[in-house]
Amino acid sequence: MKDIRPKILIVDDVVMNRTLLSDLLCDQYDILEAKNGNEALLILQEKTTEISLVLLDMVMPEKDGLEVLSIMNKNGWINEIPIIMISSEKATALVEEAYALGATDFINRPFDQMVVQNRVKNTIRLYTKQRHLSDMVASQIYDKTRNNSMMVTMLSHIVEFRNGESGLHVLHINTITELLLRELLKHTDKYKNLEESIPVISTASSMHDIGKITIPDEILNKPGRFTPEEFNIMKLHSMNGALMLNKIPFGKDEPLVKYAYEICRWHHERWDGKGYPDGLKGDEIPISAQIVSIADVYDALTSDRCYKKAFTHDKALEMIRNNECGVFNPLLLTCLDCVADKLAIGVENFNWNFVADRDFTNIATALSKDPEHPIYTQAFRRYTYEQEKCKFFASLLDGISFEYTFIPSVLKLCPKGAELLNLPQTIAEPEKRDEFWGIASRDSWDILLKAVQSASPINNSLSFESKIIIQGKQKNCKILAERIWKRNPNGDAAIYAIYGHITIL
Amino acid sequence: MTLQEFYTHVGGNLDEVLERLRKEDRIVKYVGLFLQDTTFPELEKSFANGDIETAFRSAHSMKGVAANLGFNNLATSSSELTEDLRPRSFTEHSAQLFEKVKTDYTTAVNAIKQII
Repeated sequence: MKDIRPKILIVDDVVMNRTLLSDLLCDQYDILEAKNGNEALLILQEKTTEISLVLLDMVMPEKDGLEVLSIMNKNGWINEIPIIMISSEKATALVEEAYALGATDFINRPFDQMVVQNRVKNTIRLYTKQRHLSDMVASQIYDKTRNNSMMVTMLSHIVEFRNGESGLHVLHINTITELLLRELLKHTDKYKNLEESIPVISTASSMHDIGKITIPDEILNKPGRFTPEEFNIMKLHSMNGALMLNKIPFGKDEPLVKYAYEICRWHHERWDGKGYPDGLKGDEIPISAQIVSIADVYDALTSDRCYKKAFTHDKALEMIRNNECGVFNPLLLTCLDCVADKLAIGVENFNWNFVADRDFTNIATALSKDPEHPIYTQAFRRYTYEQEKCKFFASLLDGISFEYTFIPSVLKLCPKGAELLNLPQTIAEPEKRDEFWGIASRDSWDILLKAVQSASPINNSLSFESKIIIQGKQKNCKILAERIWKRNPNGDAAIYAIYGHITIL
Repeated sequence: MTLQEFYTHVGGNLDEVLERLRKEDRIVKYVGLFLQDTTFPELEKSFANGDIETAFRSAHSMKGVAANLGFNNLATSSSELTEDLRPRSFTEHSAQLFEKVKTDYTTAVNAIKQII
């Protein structure tokens, strides 16, 4: 494979200077040129991830070097792309300012080939190394977060299985806790310092019932009502869980342990002070425990248990609202109502990669905001930015935007389109689903597939008329689609996906 | 005029420039390109228009270009003009300093025409 040559952006208003620098460097690098600050910023915006180094003149029309530096500071490029100032500037104040704004180094005029080549080479080498290290750290954080939360949950499952429950309970609590916590932060500033602890609190929520391993089987798995004595024993599980955590010889100051302790001990307290074990009242109960308590009740109500059948989502919410299963913080009840629609969906869609991605996103976001330890998040930032942009443009379009991947067979619809067709936004194996055949006829689907497969990779756009069934009525429509190709391991090109838009005629 | 003589004529030193830019044909190429450089015409125009921003910037550019090529007389005079204009106003010395730059520029241009 051909080595990729690093790209260098040379910014100088004098043609001769650009040409001379380019001449000194073009043997080993690809050169881009800009003749003023504005041109440089446009190129940087377009090719942030491609540029390995900027050689930047100080004195230029339309934004000078210092203005370019200060903009690169504002949007974080300065942490990702090294800048070498080129200057014959002897004014110390300006040189100092450039360094303060994050310039990596200076190359003075008159140019010396050896100095230019070596300074460029070394700067690029150092940055590449740093970038590589930072990527490595990021991917290790990703693996570690994934393993950690999986481990915690696996341990919590042991309790669940003994309890004869599906093990899903822990996953549900996890999801509901996060949903409620996020919602709560929208309603009040009181807990805003918890923002970055959301992942750790929802992981800690998995441990709420670990104390149950101290409860005898015959009580734990008793199908009927408890006698008062049995109930008293059962009630010990919250305090016992907390004591177990207290006996762990290390990690007392770890947030995970601290939150797990609060949650274990106090997730059966009540807002009115009539709960157990300590009879805490109102805000005496830590918010983590209050949230897990409500999540626990909701999930217990909507699941089958050895002593009861599952209630519906609506019935469960109603019972909680009417204080039939405890008394809760009124603000949390409001939050529960606000996330009610998401509850059912959130709980069903739990999956490990999703949790890891979510935690990773949280960590990456936190890190990218941390001025002390900047990480190279261009790709990440670019990704979220593009996502936002897509979402916005999709919201402007009438009709139905879709995306279909062949392996695995997954159809994704834009929110508007999904609503119009009364289908979920993501459908796995649509060709096996009845509701899919409710909107497309077999004929029009075959025509689409044939059209997609027939053309060569040269012309990727397709446009043809077809029919679609909307709310039972067949309508003519126009389908515009773009095919995305991928190379198979054996080198052949294959269609990986189609993106497209359906206009109803 | 040899390249060596040319450099003596513009206050420079071929050996010094060769040490920096390595190749004689590279030096000849950029010396030749200097005739097309627009920095001096811009400087002259900005003095005529009383445009201080452009005057400072092009004096500054002139200094850089001349230094790169090893036209030391021109580099020195345009450096003095740059410092004079740095506070972004014309002073009582500006016109005189500009005349010196113009003389050094003209000397360089005339000499270049003799070697290419």
